[in-house]
Amino acid sequence: MTGFRGATAVVGVGATNYLKRGTSELSSAQLVLQAILSACADAGADPRSIDGFVSYAGDSSEGLAIGAALGVREVRWSTQVWGGGGGGVAAAVNCAAAAVHSGQADCVAVYRGLSEKTDGRGAFNKGHMGHLYSAHGMLAPAQVCAMRTQRTLDVDGVPRSALEAVSLAGYHHAQHNPRAVAYGRPLDRERYQGSRVISEPLRLYDCSRENDGATAVLVVSADRASDYRGTPAYILSGAQGAAAGWTESAENEDHYTSAGFHPALVKRLWAGAGITAADVDVAQVYENFTGPAVASMIDHGLCPPGPAAGEFMTVEKLTVETGRLPINTAGGNIAEGFVHGIGLVAEAVRQIRGDSPNPVAGVDISLLVGGPMAPLVSSTVFGSPATV
Amino acid sequence: MTAGIPPDLIATVETHGKAVAAADNRTVLGDFMPDRIGQLIASADVPSVLKGSEVRNIAAVGDGLYDAIIRYTKPDDDSFELRSRWTRFADGTWRVVSVRNIPDTPPWTSLAGPSDDGLDTPHWDGLRVGKLMLQRCRDCAGWIWSPRPICPSCHSFRLGWEQVDPAGSVFSWTRTWQPFTPESTGHLPYVVVLVELDHAGGRRVMGILANADGVTPRIGAEVRGEIEQPPDDAYWPLVRWHLVGEP
Repeated sequence: MTGFRGATAVVGVGATNYLKRGTSELSSAQLVLQAILSACADAGADPRSIDGFVSYAGDSSEGLAIGAALGVREVRWSTQVWGGGGGGVAAAVNCAAAAVHSGQADCVAVYRGLSEKTDGRGAFNKGHMGHLYSAHGMLAPAQVCAMRTQRTLDVDGVPRSALEAVSLAGYHHAQHNPRAVAYGRPLDRERYQGSRVISEPLRLYDCSRENDGATAVLVVSADRASDYRGTPAYILSGAQGAAAGWTESAENEDHYTSAGFHPALVKRLWAGAGITAADVDVAQVYENFTGPAVASMIDHGLCPPGPAAGEFMTVEKLTVETGRLPINTAGGNIAEGFVHGIGLVAEAVRQIRGDSPNPVAGVDISLLVGGPMAPLVSSTVFGSPATV
Repeated sequence: MTAGIPPDLIATVETHGKAVAAADNRTVLGDFMPDRIGQLIASADVPSVLKGSEVRNIAAVGDGLYDAIIRYTKPDDDSFELRSRWTRFADGTWRVVSVRNIPDTPPWTSLAGPSDDGLDTPHWDGLRVGKLMLQRCRDCAGWIWSPRPICPSCHSFRLGWEQVDPAGSVFSWTRTWQPFTPESTGHLPYVVVLVELDHAGGRRVMGILANADGVTPRIGAEVRGEIEQPPDDAYWPLVRWHLVGEP
């Protein structure tokens, strides 16, 4: 454990609604601003006091432009995490915490916003699947993750039912979340299995689908957390990175069926928080696609590898009413809505702060697992006030 | 050809063929499974004007599914075939769950050729002269793929390119059904294999598996690549992979 543990906290969460992609009347920047203003209202914070901005995945809303629109008094920190997709979502939180912990900024907004009218289609992927992919008809992350998942199933022996459980758990939780795109549209086994194939072995309900929307959280020093409204969600530890042989390499990654959370990274994550995988009470697990989500849970030691993953990954065990480890309690990317995973940050925080649509009783440790099978991956451990 | 085939399916397929030939889109779309109309429309390549249809075969393929092969004739008497897969929908009607042009042909995409940073240019130039070329360090002889600006093993700046025998084994694969580009229409579904090369330090390259209609590749299966020339200069040559021992 280091001085980083519990030194910073999230004190505000704000989000727009999830809209069907391409339908938002607001630009990406306006959506981001709406989310930040809402986070400030949640925290009781003066928007002009924000002095840092962090995003990831090629966000078109540059921090300085957002700061100028808010009329902030001063920008002291402005950073974007490299790497496409949602791999950097937790890294963005960690980066904000690092800035605050080191005294570079006092109140950092972490955000991601997307409006298809501003960003076009496939913003998750801009510049990341080059001609060595596209020439061969490999055009979408779904296909890459399908290819990796195929080997997870065939060689590692993870059963298909593990993928299904991720999707069904998200849809189950979304039925209690009026903000979720899948609210009022429950998913059962039959409909999941009967859905159209996107790229084998992934079917429609194995895949997240982009929405217009934005979410923001505010990170401040733990010492000042009491200046803000509500229960702070303390940042106990964070990890980001890519192992040797794990980076953009046209499918030449070592440990190909891993989600990229290599053992040293996971060890640092738990050591930093002073916990083990068994201490996690609730997890938001980024499911760009179900297969990679299962792989990331295996990487973190939350779920056993190989055939035994099927015994762990069941709807019963992953949902809030009956499960030891509920995941994606607002619906996740697949059933709540998808703006490159930023919604998972909000839900990880809300499990401690309150306002989760499916609160887990007595949460002390709330885990955020960022985008799996991306060139860069990241995770954050949030703790309740009792943990610090 | 129709022994054991439900008579109402035979009638539906017959009507469907005529509707496609007559460009009666309302009837055609009404035959599609409602949850995948967009996917089905973009799967098959069908000329806008046709003059006839002929149901060639209907066969049970298990799980209550049937494959229908319909031959369509163009105004110039040229013809082509589509194979559609049918299931009985909840409302009792027969619906198409998938459709494809047969025989299968690989897609060509315009998103090919050297990348903006130029690192892979020799690879593409190699394909133009019929060679699979990969990057290799001239100092430590390590194979480098995907290409890098320096050798990640020994940090040498002396990087070269060498021809590699296009032989290897299937490391993984996926069969894509979703039309992610209009250029895939008429070629869906197609199988992409990730091939671990036998003679390049285990480096892996992607490519379309040829003749993959109805074939489920086995991870570990032996494959051999052939460089296929594109239909015109708008495209780049590509290595297509063939299962060894298969046509």
